[in-house]
Amino acid sequence: VQSGSKWATAAQHHAYFYPLLFSSESFSNLSTLPLEMSSPKLNTGFQERSGQPPGKPELIKCRSPEKETFSCWWKPVSDGGLPTNYTLFYNNEGEESFYECPDYTTAGPNSCYFDKKHTSLWTIYNITIKATNEMGSNISEPHYVDVTYIVQPNPPVNLSLALNKHTDGKLYLLMNWSSPPLADVRSGWLTLEYELRLKPEEGEEWETIFVGQRTKYKVFSLIPGEKYIAQVRCKSDHGEWSKWSSESYIHLPKEFRLKDMMVWVFVAVLSSVICLIMIWMMGLKGINMVACILPPVPGPKIKGLDAHLLEAGKNEELLSALGCQGFPPTSDCEDLLVEFLEIDDSEDQQLMPNHEKGHPNKNLKSGNKETDSDSGRGSCDSPSLLLEKCKESRIPPAEFQTPDFSETQVKAAGKSSQETQNRDPELKLPDFNSDGVKSSTWPGTQLASSQIPKGSYHNIVEVCKVAFSAMNVNVSAIRMGNEEKHPSKYSKNIETICEGEMTQRRKGESFHSKAKADQALQWLLPNEKSPFLSDKPMDYVEIHKVNQNGALAVLPKQKENSDKTEIYPIPGTTKEYAKVTRVVDNNVLVLMPESRVQGMPVFQEPPKESAQSLHQSQAEKNMSYCLTAPSEFRLQTGGLEYMDPNSFMCSFK
Amino acid sequence: LICSCQRRACQVSLGDLFDRAVKLSHYIHSLSSEMFNEFDERYAQGRGFITKAINSCHTSSLTTPEDKEQAQQIHHEDLLNLVMGVLNSWNDPLLHLVSEVQTIKEAPDTILWKAVEIEEQNKRLLEGMEKIVGRLHPGGLGNELYSRWSGLPSLQLPDEDSRLFAFYNLLHCLRRDSHKIDNYLKLLKCRLIHDSNC
Repeated sequence: VQSGSKWATAAQHHAYFYPLLFSSESFSNLSTLPLEMSSPKLNTGFQERSGQPPGKPELIKCRSPEKETFSCWWKPVSDGGLPTNYTLFYNNEGEESFYECPDYTTAGPNSCYFDKKHTSLWTIYNITIKATNEMGSNISEPHYVDVTYIVQPNPPVNLSLALNKHTDGKLYLLMNWSSPPLADVRSGWLTLEYELRLKPEEGEEWETIFVGQRTKYKVFSLIPGEKYIAQVRCKSDHGEWSKWSSESYIHLPKEFRLKDMMVWVFVAVLSSVICLIMIWMMGLKGINMVACILPPVPGPKIKGLDAHLLEAGKNEELLSALGCQGFPPTSDCEDLLVEFLEIDDSEDQQLMPNHEKGHPNKNLKSGNKETDSDSGRGSCDSPSLLLEKCKESRIPPAEFQTPDFSETQVKAAGKSSQETQNRDPELKLPDFNSDGVKSSTWPGTQLASSQIPKGSYHNIVEVCKVAFSAMNVNVSAIRMGNEEKHPSKYSKNIETICEGEMTQRRKGESFHSKAKADQALQWLLPNEKSPFLSDKPMDYVEIHKVNQNGALAVLPKQKENSDKTEIYPIPGTTKEYAKVTRVVDNNVLVLMPESRVQGMPVFQEPPKESAQSLHQSQAEKNMSYCLTAPSEFRLQTGGLEYMDPNSFMCSFK
Repeated sequence: LICSCQRRACQVSLGDLFDRAVKLSHYIHSLSSEMFNEFDERYAQGRGFITKAINSCHTSSLTTPEDKEQAQQIHHEDLLNLVMGVLNSWNDPLLHLVSEVQTIKEAPDTILWKAVEIEEQNKRLLEGMEKIVGRLHPGGLGNELYSRWSGLPSLQLPDEDSRLFAFYNLLHCLRRDSHKIDNYLKLLKCRLIHDSNC
């Protein structure tokens, strides 16, 4: 140390003057001995004090941001528990004197800042740091620094991101920034090169772009709708990279491209077209997808109890279904008086729709108009046989289709509440050419539908019922001018019947040939009050004889319904007999009870449930005689020769 | 460089000349810096060469600006003169460097190659600068500056340590002077071509 004044300034930085006295001595040797070891004897006076001389300081780094000034930082040392002072000394290349750091504060703690005046390029600085405390001092190793090679600029500033439209309409990102404020690039003293980086906000990797000496850059091919982060840094031409600038953000707008929209529109149209086609095809095929996907859940049912009846207030039928046979004869019975059991094997025979339902268009094909009259119908393929089989086995209706009944329709007897489900309208009565008997299809499938699914309504009782109801319907329909296929045929009968009913007398309808009796059998439908045919035992009648008129005298096989028997005014002794008054259209067997039969029940074969339908027929109100099928009516198909008059005899009130 | 036909002769523009010169000077300094670092890492560790390499460059006799203010105050002619002087002064040392560095034991190829490259590029830079000076000062600069190098014997010292220090010193000085030239030329370019608005 050559200049005392310098020491004076140095002394100001010492917190303790006392140690200075000791250290000044040691400093005098500095010029000769750059490395100074603290002399133990200096500290003897303080040995009892706690603490130690400071450790050896170390220069961390020196940096120049613009090649005009520079700063140095050192690492604080273990101070031995005592406050420590640091001094920095430097020596210029070519000069012999050491100088102390001109500025300890500007660059922060433990730093020395060399301003422009104290900074020379292309020279080596010899820098040392001395740490001093009460116990002693310690000097660092010399550090040789040439400012030329320690240039690290500050980060660039004013990074701005802007979206512009290119000439072809594409969006690009224009990035603008400025050199750090201290760097003198204009004069060429400092030459800076820049580097960009950006990434989408949620991206993981940065896209780094070396830009060179320009301060603006265009970025293409960015993702619309994304939010981007961008940073920039710079480097002196032969120096080090700066830190990255603070982040700048830009949010790209979502791009509406006509192309994308067109694609979506196309996809939507295509899929809707496909859907429509599929629906149409399903409609063509008649597939009921809803039923496929969601098969109807059968509602809870009490066997023999019809909820609809409950609703309709027809308690009688309800109760009778429950097994109260012969419970108060319903007024329907009277309705039934005008009913005929018409056995008609004509194809064209149309069953009247249940007036309740009134579906005239469901004209099931009636059986053929075969005039296969006298066939004994005992053949295996006779419908009655089939019926019997059905009855016995309770074959599901589907199988009954062959036998000419559109059972489904039949089953839906009368106001059949039972029929909850619609029959398959396509269920048609097949042609029984073989049998020569065609079941006449009753429009008004609803009559029977409900019964069929139960699979147990295959007795003639039901059929008769349906027929009866159908007849009722028929009558009423005729009266209402229904559009029936063969209104003429039926109307004639019905008219006749009606007349007969009205007058409460019996017309001597001619009996048709018994040849049709077979068919008639099938067509014999007991006028059953009970809408529930399922469990009704099928009554059958025994054809006792055929009189000269072709009347079919039948003998009931059993009478299960005692009540029912009461209602036969006719059946006194001849209760069991029902005379076939005539056969209409070769298919309809008109029966007439022998005694006091007031009405001619015309049973039309309808495999329809008739009971309820019968109720509705107003025409039947006048029926003085009606054929009601007792609940236990059972028609045994096998026994063609049997016919239970109960089945077609009304229960008299 | 684009040769544009002006008047009679085909001439490269001054701006292009300066661009070329700056590129060369930048390149030379990069090579020198790398060469020095490689040598330092390989041969000079722990030898304390840096302490001895004080005021040891042969061109230090040429008074060159030592900070920005000084450099901006000097007249461009003088600055050009100085650049030319330094470049000329290095012609000889570079030549010997190439030949002598090969004698270094197990000298890495990179050092050898760089020495050769620097020597070549320095010659080109010199030619370019002469052209520039001829454009700017057709009459010549006068007062040509030159520093003679006399360090060859030290490169041939038998003592390995001394020899290495001689190389170290030479490379150290080369690095510094090439940086000076590069810096001055960039200053001149901005000042003369871009009107101090780079």
